Amino acid sequence: MAAASSAQSSHSWRRVARDPVLLSTILVVWVLLALFVVFPLVELLARAFVDEGKVTLGPLLEIVSNGGHRTALANSLILATAVGIAGTALGFLFAFTAVRAGLGRHWLTLLDAVVLLPLVSPPFTTSISIIFSFGPKGFISHDLLGLGNVSPYGFWSTALAETLTYFPIAYLTLRPILAAIDPNLEEMAFSLGGSRGRIFRTVTLPLAVPGFANAFLLLFAASLADFATPLILGGNGFPVLPTEAYLQITGLFDFKGGAVLSLVLLVPAAFVFFLQRYWVGRRTYVTVTGKVGQRSRTRALAPWAGVLLVAGCFAVAALIAYFYGLLVYASLVVAFGANNSFTLAHYHVIFTEGLPAIRDTLIIAAIGMPLGGFYGVLVGYLIARKNFPGRRAMELVAMINYALPGTIVGIGYLIAFNDPPIALTGGAMIIVACYVFRYSPTGIRATVALLQQIDRSLEEASSSLGAGSGETFRRVTLPLIAPAFFAGLGVVFIRSMTAISATIFLVSISWTLITVRILENMTELALGPAAAFSVFVIVVVFIVVAALSAVLARFRAPTAGTAARSFLGG
Amino acid sequence: MAKVSIRLSGVSKRFDHTVKGEVYAVRDVTLAVAEGELLTLLGPSGCGKSTTLRMIAGFEEPDAGTISIDGKDVTHVLPNRRGIGFVFQNYALFPHLSVFENVAYALRVQGKDEASIKRDVTGVLGLVGLANYERQQPHQMSGGEQQRVALARAVVFQPKVLLFDEPLSNLDAKLRVEMREQIRSLQKRIGITTVYVTHDQEEAMAISDRIAVMERGQIVQDGTAPDLYYKPKTEFVARFIGRTNLLDGRVLSAGEVEVEGQRLPLSTGRPVGSTVRLVVRPEMIDLAAANPGEPGTGRVLQRTFLGEKTDYDIQFGNTRIQACRSDAFRGAAFDVGAPVRLKFDPANIHLLA
Repeated sequence: MAAASSAQSSHSWRRVARDPVLLSTILVVWVLLALFVVFPLVELLARAFVDEGKVTLGPLLEIVSNGGHRTALANSLILATAVGIAGTALGFLFAFTAVRAGLGRHWLTLLDAVVLLPLVSPPFTTSISIIFSFGPKGFISHDLLGLGNVSPYGFWSTALAETLTYFPIAYLTLRPILAAIDPNLEEMAFSLGGSRGRIFRTVTLPLAVPGFANAFLLLFAASLADFATPLILGGNGFPVLPTEAYLQITGLFDFKGGAVLSLVLLVPAAFVFFLQRYWVGRRTYVTVTGKVGQRSRTRALAPWAGVLLVAGCFAVAALIAYFYGLLVYASLVVAFGANNSFTLAHYHVIFTEGLPAIRDTLIIAAIGMPLGGFYGVLVGYLIARKNFPGRRAMELVAMINYALPGTIVGIGYLIAFNDPPIALTGGAMIIVACYVFRYSPTGIRATVALLQQIDRSLEEASSSLGAGSGETFRRVTLPLIAPAFFAGLGVVFIRSMTAISATIFLVSISWTLITVRILENMTELALGPAAAFSVFVIVVVFIVVAALSAVLARFRAPTAGTAARSFLGG
Repeated sequence: MAKVSIRLSGVSKRFDHTVKGEVYAVRDVTLAVAEGELLTLLGPSGCGKSTTLRMIAGFEEPDAGTISIDGKDVTHVLPNRRGIGFVFQNYALFPHLSVFENVAYALRVQGKDEASIKRDVTGVLGLVGLANYERQQPHQMSGGEQQRVALARAVVFQPKVLLFDEPLSNLDAKLRVEMREQIRSLQKRIGITTVYVTHDQEEAMAISDRIAVMERGQIVQDGTAPDLYYKPKTEFVARFIGRTNLLDGRVLSAGEVEVEGQRLPLSTGRPVGSTVRLVVRPEMIDLAAANPGEPGTGRVLQRTFLGEKTDYDIQFGNTRIQACRSDAFRGAAFDVGAPVRLKFDPANIHLLA
């Protein structure tokens, strides 16, 4: 009986209609989704494909026939593939080491911290460090290797920066899958006489295959949508679609061209999204039972292999640590590479000249955080717990802005809210709305995951004790899904501090963002303030994440851990 | 019958099953529960008993039929407006609230004042024997204690009706017996109309005023425990309630039936020559020593000593018979392989329709 579900749509309508709180909540959510998800997308499509009231593919054909744009598309796909493969390999290295190498708890924590650092950093951090390291006056290229006049720009540096930035996604995807592979399986194969290498090939790797596919697709999508890294490191020789679209709009004021270019990006992005969600996402051999036996250090891993894995991880971790150390160092010297004397001038700059950007960013993050957290919990609750017509559609629509590359969302908002009836461009609200609807889906998913673990009978109990749906939500559901709420808050805050791909189209003279200022500094070659801004953002994000983690730790519920994980995974 | 408290008329509920398509969980159930009565819905898992209960509570809505409580049609009324106490199999205590707050929940929703909440909660916790547990968190308590909190929470707001959905399934055997006695005495003390769902026939017989046996979404028989035990209407009921022997007989004359070569004086009211099914409970069969090869005897296949009685498996013609004897009054036991005479008392044989 529990397995079957009632599908009486006429009944669910009647039920919803008798519950005014539920009905009005659903309507409000739909109005918001229509306004901030559907409307901008429709406007974007209309701008791209409608000419003087007629649907036309002219602009699309024009773009596609342009050799430069075709190169950009090809570059985007090549880059995404490279980052997908390299990032998955790196993520596997770290995940496998964490799960099987038998490291102590403190080493694991350290490894985790280094791995997660790139996820909470502003987008240019690695890029700045790469320029510092491999530029004409770079620390590695010039000072260590004595090379003159090398260019840090192009495919390789972009791929390296994106790989280091996004491989944590692969790590977070693969680690639970590897952890759920019972070491007994490997040891059993070992006891049957298989060599260690053979066991790895015939047992471990095949079980992890769905995880690989999933990690690759997630990285592919992330790289495809990445705007900041190629903008800094791609240079003239390596254009990709998001930067082309950006230049089309900001350089040529060609909204139509920008819209069409961003939509070309949509095709592979949508393909990957559906592949990930409906194909790979459902194929996992590993069932997580929650039954954790005594896990001794597995003997199926040869000692030398363990050493090699740990060494590999620490080499990569050292590279990341070096990049961040370099960033801090560069923010504290007059001009990196030319004049290495200590100064606080760059910090002085960001807290005087840069203060408006800091203030605006914090205000926007502070407004967006509670709104996004609440919205995520509310929609997650409706999707997971309420049976109303259009529930699936709501779930899908709520995910759209999250799944779309930021460039598309940004251009869509720019076009949709530039003119009446809803002119928001230039204000803070458009940026807040962009963050809320783009980054709350993490909170939505955390809420749904948490609710799936909370038995439905709790809400039925509340209902039988006289509480209506609103009161049940407030008294029972909300306290129980608080961990998801705080996770949602965290993600919206982190992204408000670090995102740029969508919001770069939405900033104005009166409202700007730290990330946009960093970009401006980079293009003016004011690398010192750029580094100081980046350090500031990293510090603020770490403080907030630490505070939220402390709050999450107060929830004894075993489910809090799941929500905390989703913190950074989104 | 006393005043009717809950009435179900022609209630049906369909579910979409992923494999079988649309299936009936409950089909055309009509039922009346009298005021103050404890009625048990008994049946194997998947028979529709929980769905029926959940429709009374309002968690599910019937596709057809009506449900009324105290004469008021509540078929489409939301659960929070029905005034029903519900006790769940998994207790469903709010994990973020203390025992006191769990029990106080309904009173807080009603907006009662603090003093009366304190009084009512303390009173009902005393009633279920948890007087000093107010400050405990649910997860600190044993399963039995948690279920008593759930019981207190379900009755504290004086609901019109109390519903139990397999409340004892998660408890161990000894505790189950204790808890069911406690539930029964509490139910009688406050005189509340109660519907109780279980798949355990012993539990049902111990606790109920009346039992409705369900099979594949329908009520096949309802009555008191002795009614069901001695006069089952169908083979299913006969097999589900207690242990049973089903024997095929042939009507020899108006007052005689032949079973496995034995002639029994039994008036069936059936035409001569027709076959009948007879229900004989194991303890209704008397066993006596017999000589090998004597007609109308069986052979002991297995003997199981259980303390207060001994169970016998007996090959009797083409059927296997279960019989049991209380050794204290009936002398020596029979060995495996020994021939035994089976003596049926016509007064204790029930004829299936």
